[in-house]
Amino acid sequence: MVDKDNTVVPAAEATGLSRREFVTGIGGTGVGLVLGGLLVKGFMLPDEVYAIPASEGYLLVDTKKCAGCESCMLACSLVHYGRENTSLARIQITQDPFGTFPQDLQMDQCRQCPYPACVDACPTGAMHADAATGARMVDERKCIGCERCVNACPFTPSRVQWNHEDKHAQKCDLCKDTPYWNHEGGADGMQACVAICPMKAISFTKEIPAQSEQGYQVNLRDAHWGHIGFPTDDAGKIVPQPAPAPAPAAK
Amino acid sequence: MGRRAVVGTVASLAFVAGIAFAVRSASVQGAGLLFDSATWLVWLAPFAGVLAAGVTKRKDPVIEGERVLRHDDAAILEHWAHGIGTAVLLVSGIALGFLFVPSLLGAGEPVWAAMNVHFVAVVVFLFGTFYYAANTALALKRFAEHLPTRDAIDYTRRHYGLLLGFKKLTFPPERKYFESEKMAFILALVSTVVIIATGLVKVAAHAIEVPGWLLAVATPAHDIATVAMLAFFLAHVFFAAILPMSWPVLRSMFTGYVPLDYARHEHAGWIAELEGREVTDVKGSN
Repeated sequence: MVDKDNTVVPAAEATGLSRREFVTGIGGTGVGLVLGGLLVKGFMLPDEVYAIPASEGYLLVDTKKCAGCESCMLACSLVHYGRENTSLARIQITQDPFGTFPQDLQMDQCRQCPYPACVDACPTGAMHADAATGARMVDERKCIGCERCVNACPFTPSRVQWNHEDKHAQKCDLCKDTPYWNHEGGADGMQACVAICPMKAISFTKEIPAQSEQGYQVNLRDAHWGHIGFPTDDAGKIVPQPAPAPAPAAK
Repeated sequence: MGRRAVVGTVASLAFVAGIAFAVRSASVQGAGLLFDSATWLVWLAPFAGVLAAGVTKRKDPVIEGERVLRHDDAAILEHWAHGIGTAVLLVSGIALGFLFVPSLLGAGEPVWAAMNVHFVAVVVFLFGTFYYAANTALALKRFAEHLPTRDAIDYTRRHYGLLLGFKKLTFPPERKYFESEKMAFILALVSTVVIIATGLVKVAAHAIEVPGWLLAVATPAHDIATVAMLAFFLAHVFFAAILPMSWPVLRSMFTGYVPLDYARHEHAGWIAELEGREVTDVKGSN
């Protein structure tokens, strides 16, 4: 038995279009539009140009000054998530108990790359450059958890981490989005890791560093460093200058 | 080998080949996710389903000697496309992690492979679902026969009460679909609509700029609808494939036919309709 599905659509009675003709038309038009759009996009439109503004801020570190206390990691987690968890930190301090100074410690901060492979790899635009500051950051609502950004980061360990608790990618945003900190963050504000570091081993600059390992590794050892008896140069040839003796108390 | 078997075999092989391609492409250096590189297939599948329905001629159920045509070719196609698509979507989606369920796949290639498998299943699921929807639009009686009636609670109580051994109950004259199936259909319908609407928003994010707030709504809604779909799916598989009483109907999802004797017992109301008789309900002392 064959259905008689040629019922006339009431709204289209004037045209005499049957319901089947209407459905077939919708399907055919849709298929045509999708395939036509595919052809136009593939053969007639120019390739997309990938351009992204530079970040307006960068973190610089001095691993020779770092004591490995991980205060920066705890502060990073605290200001972003309201809880202290080194696994949620966006700056990573890794230590090698068998290494010798200065190879026994690594400070792995996001470099806010001029060409951010993480942003390029993101399929949904979740990883993006902040419109105001250029900081490369994650819109957690858009993250689908594919972790291509984690994989795309050219550095080891990846400067993009997987937030295992809230299930989204995360990376340093220069403290642009810090709901648990009552300071203004971002490229024009403060950064929690810079503010908290007791050794002053992390600093912030608005100048794009040289794109090399050395570009992001700087000497932050000032005179005070010498006062406590440590050399202030990388080769250790400058003799530390003890702090001047305190003035005798007035009687 | 009949035409239906040939078509089924070819379609199954194509699906398996698609899954294999999806898994393989996840490990190809530099290859993007299929959701990125082949997004157009997601938009094509619903329209292809609608177009296919437009050119499909359906056959109504009919008694043919000692058997009854329960499902025509279109019903079999839409059922298996929707069902297999749903099964693969559930497995790949749950493995990827959702709501409070962590990802079972770790990171990297296994995750990308699961996303690609999800993509292939999305295409099949969308085709099957829109094929069904358009077929239903062409014959609204097919939609009506899926909806619960005022007998829903009474029939379900008697039907499953008898199965549980309450002998004083009488078997209700169920129509083409059991009243319990019809109630479950509502859950499947609602979860399917939510899954498709939110899923298309998630897919759109691969092609255009979708507002973050919309994705913040779509993602948890997609996940919650998945739970509803999982509940329906497990119940459906149990009652429609595992319980021996349902095996004749399961077989009909391949052959199209159920034995007339079986249909007279399990679907007395339906057979009465096909024979043009009044549906009579002999109620026991319940």
